[in-house]
Amino acid sequence: MKMKSLLMICVAALAWPTLASAQDGDAQRGQDTYMRVGCYQCHGTDGQGNDAGPMLTPDTLPAEAIANFIRFSPGRMPVYPEEILSDAEISDIVAFLEAVPPPPDADSIDLLQNLEPDS
Amino acid sequence: MTSSSQSSSHKSDSSVGRRTFLKGAAVAGATGSISTQAAGDTPGKEVHGETPTGAAPPSAVQMSREASSAEELAQAEQVAVGVGPDQAGSFGSDFMVDVMKSLDLEYVFSNPGSSFLGIHESITVYANNEKPEFITCMHEESAAAMCNGYYKAALKPAAMMCHGTVGLQHAAMNIYNAWCDRAPMIAILGNHADAHARLGATTWRHSAQDPAAMVRDFTKWDDQPHSLQAFANSFVRGWKIAMTPPMEPVVIVADAELQLMEVEDRTSLQIPKYTPSEPPQGERGAVREAAQMLVAADNPVIIADRAARTPNGMTLLTELAELLNAPVIDIASRQNIATSHYLNHTRRSGQLIGQADVILGLEVTDFWGQVNFVNRESMISYPRTKDTVKLITIDVNDLYLKSNYQDFQRYAPVDLSISGDAEATLPALIEEVEAATSRSRRRALAEREDGMRKIHRSLYEESRRLAAQGWNSSPVSTGRMCMELYDKIKDEDWALVSVGASERFISTWPHRLWNFDEHYRYLGIGAGGGVGYGLPAAVGAAIANKKLGRFSVNIQCDGDFMYANGALWTAAHHRVPLLTVMHNNRAYARETMLVQGTANRRKRGVDKANIGTVIQDPNIDYAKLAEGMGVWSAGPIEDPDDLGPALAEAVRVVKSGYPALVDVVTQMR
Repeated sequence: MKMKSLLMICVAALAWPTLASAQDGDAQRGQDTYMRVGCYQCHGTDGQGNDAGPMLTPDTLPAEAIANFIRFSPGRMPVYPEEILSDAEISDIVAFLEAVPPPPDADSIDLLQNLEPDS
Repeated sequence: MTSSSQSSSHKSDSSVGRRTFLKGAAVAGATGSISTQAAGDTPGKEVHGETPTGAAPPSAVQMSREASSAEELAQAEQVAVGVGPDQAGSFGSDFMVDVMKSLDLEYVFSNPGSSFLGIHESITVYANNEKPEFITCMHEESAAAMCNGYYKAALKPAAMMCHGTVGLQHAAMNIYNAWCDRAPMIAILGNHADAHARLGATTWRHSAQDPAAMVRDFTKWDDQPHSLQAFANSFVRGWKIAMTPPMEPVVIVADAELQLMEVEDRTSLQIPKYTPSEPPQGERGAVREAAQMLVAADNPVIIADRAARTPNGMTLLTELAELLNAPVIDIASRQNIATSHYLNHTRRSGQLIGQADVILGLEVTDFWGQVNFVNRESMISYPRTKDTVKLITIDVNDLYLKSNYQDFQRYAPVDLSISGDAEATLPALIEEVEAATSRSRRRALAEREDGMRKIHRSLYEESRRLAAQGWNSSPVSTGRMCMELYDKIKDEDWALVSVGASERFISTWPHRLWNFDEHYRYLGIGAGGGVGYGLPAAVGAAIANKKLGRFSVNIQCDGDFMYANGALWTAAHHRVPLLTVMHNNRAYARETMLVQGTANRRKRGVDKANIGTVIQDPNIDYAKLAEGMGVWSAGPIEDPDDLGPALAEAVRVVKSGYPALVDVVTQMR
């Protein structure tokens, strides 16, 4: 079953000629959609991720990869069919994610230093 | 431990107070239920249906109609439950409290009720509210959760007390949580067993033939003793049963008449000696076989859930892991190994289970779920392990089960199943591992250490990097919230006493980045997943920690909070130092995700997935709510930069001996 799902994603990636690129998307519209359809619940309001879903920013994946995952998620993430989330809306979301400012580096945050990890 | 002579010394000191407590009965003294001690009568047997004038005694309703003031009404209610005027001397409930004292019971968590007012009065007046102390709770569900939290901090049981009917109905969910958590507690149920002794309609409604039946499916033992001597025997027996692994709640029904009866000859009553049972140890031959498998394994993995019942369990598990240089997956229903230890590899559990050739499960409730994966959509399960893996379990899961509630989880086929308490079995296992390890094998095992240290360091670095994601986000990221909190408490002798039903609700940040180097630093979760555990369990644990000099911290989910927020008042009233940090994501977040996922799979859109799953419109102001119950508070905090100063002030309040709450508006997880 796992293999079947992965195969579906690969096939879909090849057969995805119509998806608009992130450059065509609107970041503000994308943020609205991102919040409306509940992406923030598992990925955080800034795409930072949490225990329920991986981080989407920074280093956002290419639009096609994100679209494929949205359409054919094999794991815990619910699948978003086109009736729920259009290709254009996915492009908007990707534009939003790409526009999120990068977070500070962990080494620059005092509260993340000297936590004595080893004993 | 045995005490059979305590009552007389208490009696003389408290007689005035007791009369004050009982003075209300005087108004109806001529007509009420009177405890008689006539020669030849059973001591304390109450006589109803006969009065000096031969008329039937009035019911509570009748008396309440005739009462002209609130005071008289209160007096009438006392008569209705059998309290006579001018009573002095020793009473059944005094003896019951003596029994509790013999076991060093420190606290009885309760909301007052007429079916157990005899014990209530004996605790507060006869025993001067010391050992046990009556802790005023605003809900029986909270009382049960406080027992659960108290046990995990103090490592000894507390008691809760409630009506055997309406009170127990309230308490049932958190008794179930304690059952799933293997947390011993004593539930004392007030009841009016003798129907002839029930005066008012309410008394009838607060009576049952078999009160404990309601929770029998998820308690280990119960009894309804019909004499004081039987009460003593059953209470001590119940304590012993509760404290023998698998540790679980027990129920003792305290009959109202027994509580209220006068005791003529206290010396005729004996409190039996309590001798703890030694926990069951795994069979030595099987332990030897397990040791040989572990020593021979190239990739052994240890999974621990409730393995460390005590700090010694943590020491032993760490010793075993170090002998083998085997990574540990700490499910952490108790803190089993320090997060800072180089063999704590919990963050890569999936990878470890997939690579392992031998897996040892120690007190893992859902072992099958650890070594298998279920696709939520197809419901098809897959093993997460290699085909050749050998599975070993050491636990008490098969030693005591009940059929109805399914918390025993899916049956786990394994290669070697050892019934025995893991902590009690670890010394033998360590001995056998040492015996099975040749010199050359010892060198080979030691060579794993550097690699394990490197991986542990990389897991930590990965968590540190991830915590920085969304650092400046608003709502506040759970990573930022947890690290701002840790910064303020890390120099205290802190204990994270509750995170609610799952630490995953805060993305497990504490276990990723805090240094849980002591057993008491973490007390696990509300094991049954029943909502309304977090805050009262935290209060119960903080009451224990207050005496132990520990700084108690509770990370509190908002939905859980609203079930049992009266526990805040209990914390204020009893001066419980507890820092509560609200994880206020304004939603039942997990359910929001689940409903949304279902709607998506059905291609119906997600626009309505928030109905019934969010806590908005209006947003709840938890700081105001806390303030209204006498608790210092701050918030709601939406700007992460405001969090540090608020937490610093809250820590100062808690260190001065009071509870404090900081409301943080957070990301979903």
